[in-house]
Amino acid sequence: MGPYESAMSSSGSSSSCAGKAPDQIDGLLAGAGYRVRSSELRNVAQRLERLETVMVNTPSEISHLANDAVLHNPSDLASWVDSLLSELNQSAPIPELSDLTYAEPLDPAVNTGAWMEHHPAEPHREIPQVLTAVEEDSCIRLVHVLLTCAGSVQRGEFSLAGALIDEMQGLLTRVNNRCGIGKVAGYFIDALNRRLFSPQGAGLIGSAYENDILYHHFYEASPYLKFAHFTANQAILEAFDGHDCVHVIDFNLMQGLQWPALIQALALRPGGPPLLRLTGMGPPSSDGRDSLREIGLRLAELAHSVNVQFAFRGVAASRLEDVKPWMLQVGPKEAVAINSIMQLHRLLVSDPTRRSPIEDVLGWIRNLNPKVMTVVEQEANHNQPEFLDRFTEALHYYSTMFDSLETCSTQPDKALAEIYIQREICNVVCCEGLARVERHESLAKWRARLSGAGFKPLHLGSNAFKQASMLLTLFSAEGYCVEENEGCLTLGWHSRPLIAVSAWQAIPQPTPPLGLVNPYNNVV
Amino acid sequence: MVQLLEIGLANVELNLVSDKEKRLKFCINDHMDILIEILQRLDGRSLGSAACVCRLWQHITQSDMLWEHLCFHHVSPRLPSGVRPVVAALGGYRRLYMLCLRPVLSRLGLARQLSGGGGHQEVVRRVWTRHLVELSLSLFCVDYYERLGSGGGGGGRVGDASASSLMFLCKPVNV
Repeated sequence: MGPYESAMSSSGSSSSCAGKAPDQIDGLLAGAGYRVRSSELRNVAQRLERLETVMVNTPSEISHLANDAVLHNPSDLASWVDSLLSELNQSAPIPELSDLTYAEPLDPAVNTGAWMEHHPAEPHREIPQVLTAVEEDSCIRLVHVLLTCAGSVQRGEFSLAGALIDEMQGLLTRVNNRCGIGKVAGYFIDALNRRLFSPQGAGLIGSAYENDILYHHFYEASPYLKFAHFTANQAILEAFDGHDCVHVIDFNLMQGLQWPALIQALALRPGGPPLLRLTGMGPPSSDGRDSLREIGLRLAELAHSVNVQFAFRGVAASRLEDVKPWMLQVGPKEAVAINSIMQLHRLLVSDPTRRSPIEDVLGWIRNLNPKVMTVVEQEANHNQPEFLDRFTEALHYYSTMFDSLETCSTQPDKALAEIYIQREICNVVCCEGLARVERHESLAKWRARLSGAGFKPLHLGSNAFKQASMLLTLFSAEGYCVEENEGCLTLGWHSRPLIAVSAWQAIPQPTPPLGLVNPYNNVV
Repeated sequence: MVQLLEIGLANVELNLVSDKEKRLKFCINDHMDILIEILQRLDGRSLGSAACVCRLWQHITQSDMLWEHLCFHHVSPRLPSGVRPVVAALGGYRRLYMLCLRPVLSRLGLARQLSGGGGHQEVVRRVWTRHLVELSLSLFCVDYYERLGSGGGGGGRVGDASASSLMFLCKPVNV
């Protein structure tokens, strides 16, 4: 039986069994004399590709292959290709694009894997991510010098720190600073520079109007805030089930982008919409515009269009701890929801002479007895006492966040979102004491803190998870992941959670404290 | 136009085989109820093409009822009756379909294709779950709110006619 006849007979037999099990020998290749299992076809194809790349790249070393190949019996194609590749690998190590591994960083305590890993995983980027050897070296060196510089800043060796900053700025020129580690390093070097050489205007403080714009672009460039809004709304919606008079207190209104979706969901809930009151807090506007009132009017117009009874009240306060509960005018029969998007961490300034503001605020929140308190916080530990720990942690966190921002393609959203994050970085790195407000803490710490303050966690439920997953699919950027963490949801980039949403309920107190009855009985 | 008619007529059973009637010309524009029945069964793209045929068809396809049928008749259980005034207030079913439902469905359909699922109509229809409807309505509401802001000049964005927070739906999909 000649080779062609066997090919026809075995290809005939393979076509007859359409749904072949993956462990069967592939019929078509068997006809040509190669025995390969169907499940291994993909592997074999990849190895053949690699072999071809290797052979193309080093033509001089394969002359022996031309002689040896005839002697092998290619009945098991996979292992034959493997043996060829291992032979070639021993003679000349070729850097394969899919298996880039980086040299160990000089400081073994630093895990640079987080931001290095993403390079090989994305073949469809516009900017080629293949680093030359020189760039690779410079990146690793940059990270090492950054950490050394931070260490010297912590120890007070400012002249050394200054010299290191000069060295880093030199290194930056050899690294692609428009993407990846180069960009993040640039911002951190800038922040260190500010900390050392301009202590007066250390943090980047913008006007409320600028912050509004940057926040809006950050909202659009990445799914973090949308995820937070939708998940918190779902928790609030579920908590308000069955109540006819509801009051939402938002600790940072900004442009009120969270509330249209809640108003619409309340309008469509079975049983009809409740009377909704919204109290929005925000910084006082300096240029005479009453921005809180404008947002309130817009929300009221929306609510009016969908037939939801709505009332708005704005509370202008530059710091959350300045707000007193009587300003909120909570009615006695209302169901209250507290919504805090990245505001609670600002209260963690610890001054030994004063009572900690977070305890005060959590105390009056608890006295209001809200049906739900939704807390959205960055999933990071940027509040450690030691500067070097904070710096290292921030470097990891913001590198991951910048990586995720690379998927955004709309300008100026991306550029302005980066500036928004840059302000956070500057605050974490440059500022100390009362000026440092970005005191992020991880979900585990918030859990402990809130449980200790008399709150019990509410599980967010599968509806919230499904909605979040669907929202993520719409962003069509592979890499974001929603995870459930003991009833809380986190959104992250490549399995590093970056933002966490949790819901809490006040544990009813055994005896009502004085002053619980609100003197304001009328609805505003 | 002829092709559309053929597609439409294929879905409706018409008894035209009598010899005498063959000699009379049949014009679909004389039978509005049949026309509406046919148009109700078209997908969004065909409905858009139908709007370009003639003034009568343009007038009919602008009726929100057709687009409501297109948006939600696959959803079961049926949406509560309160949805219609809300959608009408926020801009209408046609806008809801063009702005939210169509990109959302195509993204989700594509996501399923990429993740290994099938790409045909049945899969797409099964995807129209309650969550999808609620999410689309929420996004639609955010769009309305942003248009309020840019139209009224109260927000911080100047000269932005399109809804900015839904721009991510218009971006080309990164396949």
